Amino acid sequence: MALILLGLFVFSGCDHEPSAKQGRVVIKYWEKWTGFESDAMQAVVDDFNASQDKIWVDYSTVSQIDRRLMLATAGGVPPDVAGVWGNTVPVYAENNALTPLDKLAAAASVRRENYIPAIWEICSYRDHLWALPSTPASNALIWNKKLFREAGLDPERPPQNIAELEQANEKLTKRAPNGRLLSIGHLPEEPGWWNAMWGTWFGGRLWDGQGKITANSQENIAAYQWVESYPKRFGADNLLAFRDGFGNFASPQNAFFTGRVAMVLQGVWIYNFIHNYAPKDFEWGVAPFPASDPVTGKVTAIVESDVLVIPAGAKHVKEAFAFLSYVNSPKPMEKLNLGQRKFSPLAECSEEFFRAHPNPYIRDFVAYAKSPNAAYNPRLTTWSEYNNDMKNAVGRIWSGKATAIDALNDVQRRQQKVYDQRLARWNRLAPELTKKWNEP
Amino acid sequence: MNKSGKLLTLFVWCLLAFLAIAFLAPLIWMISTSLKPLNETMSLPPRWIPSSIQWKNYPDAIAAMGQFWKYAANSLFLCAMSVIGTVASSALAAYGFSRIEWRGRDKVFLILLATMMIPFPVIMVPIYSLFKNLGWIGSFKPLWAPTFFAGAFNVFLLRQFFLSLPKDISEAARIDGCSELQIFLRVILPLCKSALLVVALFQFMFTWNDFLGPLIFLTEQKDYTLALGLQSFQSQNGGTAWHHLMAASTLVVLPVIVLFFFTQKSFIEGIASTGAKN
Amino acid sequence: MTRQDKHQLKVGLAFISPWIVGFLALCVYPLLSSAWYSLCDYSVLSPAVFVGAQNYRDILSDEVFWKALSNTIFFAAFAIPLGLFVSLSLAILLNFDLPGKGVFRTIFFLPSLVPMVSLAVLWQWMLNGELGLVNNLLNPILHALNHLLGTQWSAPNWLQDARYAKWGIIFTGIWGVGNAVVIYLAGLQDVPRHLYESAEIDGANFFQKTLHITVPVISPVIYFNTIMGLIGSFQVFAVPYVMTSGGDGPERSLLFIATYLYQNAFDYWNMGYACAIGMILFVIILTLTYVSTKLSEKHVYYAGK
Repeated sequence: MALILLGLFVFSGCDHEPSAKQGRVVIKYWEKWTGFESDAMQAVVDDFNASQDKIWVDYSTVSQIDRRLMLATAGGVPPDVAGVWGNTVPVYAENNALTPLDKLAAAASVRRENYIPAIWEICSYRDHLWALPSTPASNALIWNKKLFREAGLDPERPPQNIAELEQANEKLTKRAPNGRLLSIGHLPEEPGWWNAMWGTWFGGRLWDGQGKITANSQENIAAYQWVESYPKRFGADNLLAFRDGFGNFASPQNAFFTGRVAMVLQGVWIYNFIHNYAPKDFEWGVAPFPASDPVTGKVTAIVESDVLVIPAGAKHVKEAFAFLSYVNSPKPMEKLNLGQRKFSPLAECSEEFFRAHPNPYIRDFVAYAKSPNAAYNPRLTTWSEYNNDMKNAVGRIWSGKATAIDALNDVQRRQQKVYDQRLARWNRLAPELTKKWNEP
Repeated sequence: MNKSGKLLTLFVWCLLAFLAIAFLAPLIWMISTSLKPLNETMSLPPRWIPSSIQWKNYPDAIAAMGQFWKYAANSLFLCAMSVIGTVASSALAAYGFSRIEWRGRDKVFLILLATMMIPFPVIMVPIYSLFKNLGWIGSFKPLWAPTFFAGAFNVFLLRQFFLSLPKDISEAARIDGCSELQIFLRVILPLCKSALLVVALFQFMFTWNDFLGPLIFLTEQKDYTLALGLQSFQSQNGGTAWHHLMAASTLVVLPVIVLFFFTQKSFIEGIASTGAKN
Repeated sequence: MTRQDKHQLKVGLAFISPWIVGFLALCVYPLLSSAWYSLCDYSVLSPAVFVGAQNYRDILSDEVFWKALSNTIFFAAFAIPLGLFVSLSLAILLNFDLPGKGVFRTIFFLPSLVPMVSLAVLWQWMLNGELGLVNNLLNPILHALNHLLGTQWSAPNWLQDARYAKWGIIFTGIWGVGNAVVIYLAGLQDVPRHLYESAEIDGANFFQKTLHITVPVISPVIYFNTIMGLIGSFQVFAVPYVMTSGGDGPERSLLFIATYLYQNAFDYWNMGYACAIGMILFVIILTLTYVSTKLSEKHVYYAGK
């Protein structure tokens, strides 16, 4: 018994505090990035630490940060600042896991009009501000010009609508004598990072913004019938075998770089991957991903953003916000996004930024993000489940187990129920939470 | 031995040899991949022996994992604490369940056996809440403190062993005026070193292996165990190259294999005893 | 109770006190509070609100839960018997008096030492559809068969194909049967030799001896391993979690009860729902254990009884 007690006492004193950096307030900051993306933020953090002598930001990379942050915040040991994906803001906010930033932002004159509109929306939820952006992104059609030329297509003219995309697809697809796919023009599943959001280019939305889930709207059905046409045309097993030979996304074996897929839907970061992994003579172009309806004339893209939040229960809220607003001032923001080769979420951006930016198409990506048609993930607390259900639906469509209509109807039924449950929770907690959020 | 007996033996030997190769193949494949240049991991048909052995994959993988040595130190610390906790508390409890006669003992022991049926996921949420209320989330405590409270399986193993020792040795000590605690510490424990070693080995393996515990209780990357560090390496943004992943994986397996070769006899006997009829 | 009895009781309880504390704090309390939370809407950072049987009603109509349950049952239904068959066969083969027996035993045991996470990472690589070792060994065999039989078989993309993904996990598990092999091998050593000798006199062959002597005699060990396998299979978590990076595999084919419980608790902020899933899992395990115990009373042979 004595041994047990001794053991408990000796080792309970083992947690060591971070050494106080010259008497400053130390802020713990968790990020998800690795490699050069992490280095870019590290440089901004270093600048901040050098710019004043009251606050020290302790920056560290954490994998699977959404789960980790939930566990730490729920466990009462959150970091002071965390860099998460913008689409997690609603679920964290509504579950009482974030500090509302409205008053701090107002005091520091951080205002809506300073930002690209869609990105500000990503930081807000239920009329409160919960996050400030760090590095945003928009997506686009990226095509391989060399393959276009080889297939007799105009390498400077990307498809303008889905019908043209499929015409190009026909010409770009190569098969072995035994029918096996060798290369393809376009494949929604490669890499399939926006599988829940194909409706965007067909005018569909996943939620009406009020109380109704709209997974099986006409537009969404049309979008996923287009997805469904792939296994129908190429054969589910053939596509599966074809895809399994692809290497990791971040490798020279990436199917887009090896020429096995000629057109992909990708984000602004694709430049980095092309720079690091594509062959030296890789020629690529960027255009808005073609919409089903050619007459709108507007750019349709999905905007997303990495954001900085202050978890509920953070020890140094004021100091944490001082860091957030430092990152959100023009110079550091441009430095960070230049380092990560993305673009500034601020409405205004300096000419030097564009001049220094290595991505030749960076202005296009900014324009797509600013387009009034820019879409973003629905601001739902149930997004994680919804997204999983959509992925599962695409999987079923892809393997031919379900038609697009059936798969979307299943998602609709389930997600409406999940959403209603969460709404009931919100109605129960709303009086208390809104009171708390509006406190001075 | 007659002729058909010899034939049978030969047949069994060949069958076993074939199966043994099949069982070894994944391990050899892991090591082989870990020593290949990246492009060779992607080449078809796969080759068993790399064209040039890339020892540097190991330091590269360690560097890419971030805080590999910190993870290793954390794993070792947790293993050490859990082994101490388990051996001390299980030996005490097993003694109480085997070498002291008290009313209701065997009924209580049945309860202990029944607790083996409670899967961790079932009680995961309340345990998380419990440690949260203690302010232990994000520290190592939730991972080793429970081992100081005698897990059912280890008590069961040690009790079997304690029961096998003759009663007379305790009686003799009692006549000499020893208290139960003295008998436990001075007479019984020295006789059970091998059984304690088995329990220690099992606990070491369990802690080294444990994934779900660290996954929900550890919050900071610098506190990760090797198992969690390997998983986080594997799931990092953008994917991880196979040769590095296999090198990292080999490094996580290696200590266990080394430990096994040093303690092979106790290990095998210990495992054999877990299935002992009761 | 005599004074002596009381003293013994006190000393006994003092010795088992670490376990009592652990039992109350880490078993009884969590089980009771899990039962309570399962009747609540609970999201950790807001107080739990009693909602009656709502969570259980929702589970009944939650197709994802049923998918997770059927995946888990499928896994247990194949992994346990296959594991039993492979480990028992290996043990019986190893029980022959052979040169190099110790080396064989060590080789079969080694994989069971591989930590779960490494195991998952390694088999993810082994089962890779194009580059994996499994398919590169399988393809030539299938080719030859196709040639002979005129069929069109090709090796599956194990973990990417909903039809085969669970088999990938089952094979991974079978590779780690070394533990059970050692246990059975020890059990085989306890089989009295005279039983075999008298059977040989009756002209029994190897298979008859195995079926009628070996298996019955070691049936308690089989029973013990099966129960443990059952409990283990119903909480399978680490391998699918690592193989899918915390997801649920193609078309949710790798979503198991423990994964779904984890997702509800720590991804969806539905602790109450997670606890309800946990209670159902607990009841299932209790029932299965009870049933197998009842079955074993009929079929398990205990020496000396």
